[in-house]
Amino acid sequence: MATTADDFAPGAGAHAGHGGDHDHDHADHKPGFFARWFMSTNHKDIGSLYLMFAIVAGIIGGAISGIMRVELAEPGIQYLQWWAQFMGGANDINTALHMWNVFITAHGLIMVFFMVMPAMIGGFGNWFVPLMIGAPDMAFPRMNNVSFWLTVAGFFSLLFSLFVPGGSGPGAGVGWTVYAPLSTTGSPGPAVDFAIFSLHLAGAGSILGATNFITTIFNMRAPGMTLHKMPLFVWSVLVTAFLLLLALPVLAAAITMLLTDRNFGTTFFDPAGGGDPVLYQHLFWFFGHPEVYIMILPGFGMISQIVATFSRKPVFGYLGMAYAMVAIGVVGFIVWAHHMYTVGLDVNTKMYFTAATMVIAVPTGVKIFSWIATMWGGSLEFKSPMVWSLGFIFLFTVGGVTGVVLANGGIDDNLHDTYYVVAHFHYVLSMGAVFSMFAGFYYWFPKMSGRMHSELLSHIHFWTFFVGVNVIFFPQHFLGMQGMPRRYPDYAEAYTFWHEISTYGYYIMAGSMIFFFVNIAYALLAGKKAEGNPWGEGATTLEWTLPSPPPYHQFETLPVIEDHHDYHDHRPATA
Amino acid sequence: MGQALDRMKFGIVALMAAAMAFGLAFAAPQAMAQDASGTDVGGGAAGAAADADAAAAAADAFDGGIDAPAGEVNAASAGGYAPMAPTEGKGMPTSYQEDALKSMTFQDQYTADGAYALGMHDYILMPVITVISLFVLFLLLYVVVKFRRGANPVASKTTHNTMIEVVWTIVPVIILVVIAVPSITLLARQYETPPEEAITVKAVGYQWYWGYEYPDHDVEVISNMLEADEALSRGEPYQLAVDNRMVVPAGVPLRIQTTAADVIHAFAVPSLWFKQDAVPGRLNERMLVIEEPGVYYGQCSELCGSRHGYMPITVEALPMEQFEAWVVEQGGSIPGSAELEDNNDPIDTGDESPAAADPEAAADA
Amino acid sequence: MAGNVNHDYHILEPDIWPLVGSISALSFTSGMVLNFYPDLFGSTGSIVMYLGLAGLIATFFMWFKNIVVEAERGDHTPVVQLHMRYGMILFIASEVMFFVGWFWSFFDFALFPTALEYDPSADTTTSLFGEEGSIAQFIPANMEVLDPFSLPLLNTLILLCSGTTVTWAHHALIHGDREGLKQGLWATVALGILFSFIQAYEYSVAPFGFGGNTYSSAFYMATGFHGFHVLIGTIFLAVCLFRAYKGHFTPRQHFGFEAAAWYWHFVDVVWLFLFIVVYIWGGWGAEYH
Ligand code: HEA
Ligand code: HEA
Ligand code: CUA
Ligand SMILES: [Cu+2]
Repeated sequence: MATTADDFAPGAGAHAGHGGDHDHDHADHKPGFFARWFMSTNHKDIGSLYLMFAIVAGIIGGAISGIMRVELAEPGIQYLQWWAQFMGGANDINTALHMWNVFITAHGLIMVFFMVMPAMIGGFGNWFVPLMIGAPDMAFPRMNNVSFWLTVAGFFSLLFSLFVPGGSGPGAGVGWTVYAPLSTTGSPGPAVDFAIFSLHLAGAGSILGATNFITTIFNMRAPGMTLHKMPLFVWSVLVTAFLLLLALPVLAAAITMLLTDRNFGTTFFDPAGGGDPVLYQHLFWFFGHPEVYIMILPGFGMISQIVATFSRKPVFGYLGMAYAMVAIGVVGFIVWAHHMYTVGLDVNTKMYFTAATMVIAVPTGVKIFSWIATMWGGSLEFKSPMVWSLGFIFLFTVGGVTGVVLANGGIDDNLHDTYYVVAHFHYVLSMGAVFSMFAGFYYWFPKMSGRMHSELLSHIHFWTFFVGVNVIFFPQHFLGMQGMPRRYPDYAEAYTFWHEISTYGYYIMAGSMIFFFVNIAYALLAGKKAEGNPWGEGATTLEWTLPSPPPYHQFETLPVIEDHHDYHDHRPATA
Repeated sequence: MGQALDRMKFGIVALMAAAMAFGLAFAAPQAMAQDASGTDVGGGAAGAAADADAAAAAADAFDGGIDAPAGEVNAASAGGYAPMAPTEGKGMPTSYQEDALKSMTFQDQYTADGAYALGMHDYILMPVITVISLFVLFLLLYVVVKFRRGANPVASKTTHNTMIEVVWTIVPVIILVVIAVPSITLLARQYETPPEEAITVKAVGYQWYWGYEYPDHDVEVISNMLEADEALSRGEPYQLAVDNRMVVPAGVPLRIQTTAADVIHAFAVPSLWFKQDAVPGRLNERMLVIEEPGVYYGQCSELCGSRHGYMPITVEALPMEQFEAWVVEQGGSIPGSAELEDNNDPIDTGDESPAAADPEAAADA
Repeated sequence: MAGNVNHDYHILEPDIWPLVGSISALSFTSGMVLNFYPDLFGSTGSIVMYLGLAGLIATFFMWFKNIVVEAERGDHTPVVQLHMRYGMILFIASEVMFFVGWFWSFFDFALFPTALEYDPSADTTTSLFGEEGSIAQFIPANMEVLDPFSLPLLNTLILLCSGTTVTWAHHALIHGDREGLKQGLWATVALGILFSFIQAYEYSVAPFGFGGNTYSSAFYMATGFHGFHVLIGTIFLAVCLFRAYKGHFTPRQHFGFEAAAWYWHFVDVVWLFLFIVVYIWGGWGAEYH
């Protein structure tokens, strides 16, 4: 089953595409290079493509955040003029300032749509949902591939936008929220159109992906694996897929309105024709809030698997954990206006959204405490996925509780659009989502690659990253409370100190990432061969019953899940 | 195993209870103080000031700012209104070097609602979230030490405990209710309708400056950010200081309306706990009562294009007479004064008559 | 399948069309953007856009052709057919949410109107926001709207009717009546085309132009996207008709047909909402054209 050089030899399957010859045993017959990676219908290969894409996007998004942090290290405009010219813009201050908006927009969009979502859902979801439910592949393998390539197409559309005029300079400088009328009458030029289409393309890919995951999970579970026996990661992807399916089309409608307002004379958001800019915000956040849970729920799922594995204990309160995610998903649809507390909502609306938003802390708390209870009485082993998970639980809590502060409409009047919000969402994203991604990555890397990474390097990665991101983002709470607004390239003298500290944190974090890349390179080149189950008896889900890496087509005979097995123990009886 | 679970149950319950007690200990006096001083923002400056004190924030109220050094009088406006010099640490951010602790929290508040909100943050939200975070951290450290493989080689198989699950569902609910009560109260206070006689100021966002219209006084001000050297020479913080301020009277209800001409901006002043989006095609309105004279800086808080970072807001609150002097100097008129008999705005009670028209009155303030 | 494959799932060979389709989609959207700015990009936009469109059409054609081939070959085991049912239902659910977006904006404008004045001769609208004595109303002053009980009502009847003809075709198919299947489908496709023509005619005589104010924006975009879905649905049904002539579909296995029928019903229901909300309720009280 091991990968050999001729697996990459071009030729073999490259003629396929018309579903021609299928009547031979192709269990481990891999197509040639082009067919395998550009025409893939294999969930594991598509998963790998997504992960590689996400890593590239993460490097770009992270590099942009570096440009931002360096600029913010001291007051005044330091490097933006240079970037403006580098991107082909004019050498004047307005273009330079515009570049700032372009950077934050690109950073936000890349991190959200092209790093976290592809990694979690496209990458880990594709790889492990079929493996964990004992399925040979996804329900719609061809559609799976188009989901991936549409995401890539979306990324290219965003890249195009950087090099065409978008108002005071090249690129779309409208923020990842693309608020009208800044994004309509406020940004002449094709950049914003390209950015909007980028969301259309990536969104279409995600909707198709969501359809695929839901169908796979509902229809392809191995015999005996009821919904209530599904691993929590699969539950998390199921809930996430529903959020995607129902939230993204509303975004599609909203950004289509932006397009027609920009180019065809409609006035959805143009007050001159009776339109309402606030309507855009409702539509955007009706998508946008579920979106933030889309970015964290798969992380929740991964943390559940990992904590159980390294505690050698089944997950505590399995049903509560599953239904907490369902509750978060459902309630996530009715809290959107907490992003709009200052637009002029009336008092009752604001009270409602304050109360509804806080409700989400309850199911989230159930998850936090259940993870701890899973560890309680366990036999904990601190392998790299586990330390990232421990980091996740703490840092996500910190980010979550500042969310509860923001949830109070009256308090948010001061904090809205300040760095407090930036700190909040980086704690849940750049620490929550990203920590869970690294946890999942180290957890499954041996399974995916067949090689062991270095535990030492991953622990160094963890500790330096942990310190780095906290130094970046903790001081941003102070800045926010002192009134430092978001989306500012420059600031009053008084904010200097904490910005400077924050930028130092970035350097620590950036250095830390070297250990990550070195670790991957080391593992791929010289890593020990991984066993089918490198994590021991705690790893009970089906993917660990397969060799590492799994055969090109697994489960040609479906595993049967016996009735008497505990929750969360999904091994076939005789595995 | 059972033992471990019991201990865990006990531990969690105890800590939850502690967290709750903490929250309540802060919340109760808070709520009581609230009751005592009443929630009558509409009642005017006095009541509001009492509130502020009760909320134990803005401790250094009424200590200056009002006596703006005469030396600051701008040549152009000699004889009448003179821009007030800002007070360090008031109405503006504080740097780490000036005061490390102050640089890590909210600006001092100069409105009753701001003081209430700040109190709610400092005495309820902040303790609660700190305790919750530390509690989670403590539990994590505890399990890490206690249940590491070396210390506990054989894992228990416990996966359920209804009691504990109910507890960790109910206790957060209670904590949230404790938060929600003052939170809803705060919202209700912030949405008091301004009284009939409130002075209207309409802040209009433009790319990239602010316009302030005073429909009651027929005054309009265009406000641009000062260049760095100009700001420094006036003793004001760069990027917060403007050429023409939004001048308002202190201690009386203001009706702040916001709207915008091009894209969305937001009118925000942290030390007044005030932030309201300026949306084209909409007129947002909120009452604001600034407790005491002073200079309060704010910044546009909604992404509005390239110079979003360079359209600050400076609110200068003055005693009524000085405000009226300013109005007159701007070529405006005072409603209720001689030439506008029909306007019965009770704020500037007629007997305080043409103080504004008297340059001396303004000068000696 | 041969070999040691012991399950009924459909494992596919590699396929080039997802890649082609995505590149075409990117080319189509990018061409559209270039087209918006002829002064910047000249006529390159059209080339890029039509290339993309051609690629997209080719992709759709080949993609569905492959599915049909696979179906006829017997790859669509019962569980695979079940997948398709789920897939179609979920796709329709997402489409419903797409229309929720358009209805949301329609309701927003209708329930929280501002003051507008329409000039029929120039097809322009002025905002009276903040002006003394102006009245907030959804339909701008001086604007006439379409009479719902004229052509829209006719179109409603046409679509309702087509809902029954497609059911007729379905029943015929289930009972092995191939002629009935063809007739029902012919009737449905014809009604679909008729609907589109009437809709197009109505747009051409509408008393207000595209955009310029919230009513006409929301009206044209909502009904326009519906119209687009009618076209898709009609093509989908026409493909089924073509396949019926080719002898595809059996009384027990004909999901392609069912999917088209579901889609058609969905389009029908959206129209009912449009008719009631946009035409009747939305235009209530305004002058009819
Ligand atoms: C992964 C992404 C993610 C997650 C999970 C969350 C989670 C939450 N968020 Fe966050 N949020 C964002 C991403 C996320 N957010 C982003 C990106 C923005 C900014 C968007 C933009 O403007 O660009 C934002 C902005 C944002 C705002 C708007 C701020 C503003 O712009 O003014 C608000 C306001 O209510 C908010 C609230 C919350 C709440 C209440 C939660 C809750 O779900 C948190 C629940 C978790 C906990 C509370 C911790 C664990 C619980 C316990 C230990 C139990 C006990 C706790 C209590 C009793 C309190 N968020
Ligand atoms: C997931 C989302 C995410 C992530 C990870 C980050 C990461 C970072 N962000 Fe980001 N940020 C946003 C989402 C995110 N951000 C959003 C939505 C905004 C708002 C934009 C707007 O206002 O419109 C924002 C805005 C924002 C600002 C405010 C700008 C402003 O308002 O003017 C700042 C300033 O410091 C900042 C800094 C950083 C830094 C230093 C990091 C660092 O942590 C970056 C370090 C890099 C990584 C952590 C990525 C590493 C990952 C990989 C290499 C992939 C690995 C893949 C696998 C394991 C499969 N960000
Ligand atoms: Cu004006 Cu930001
Ligand atoms: Cu939210």
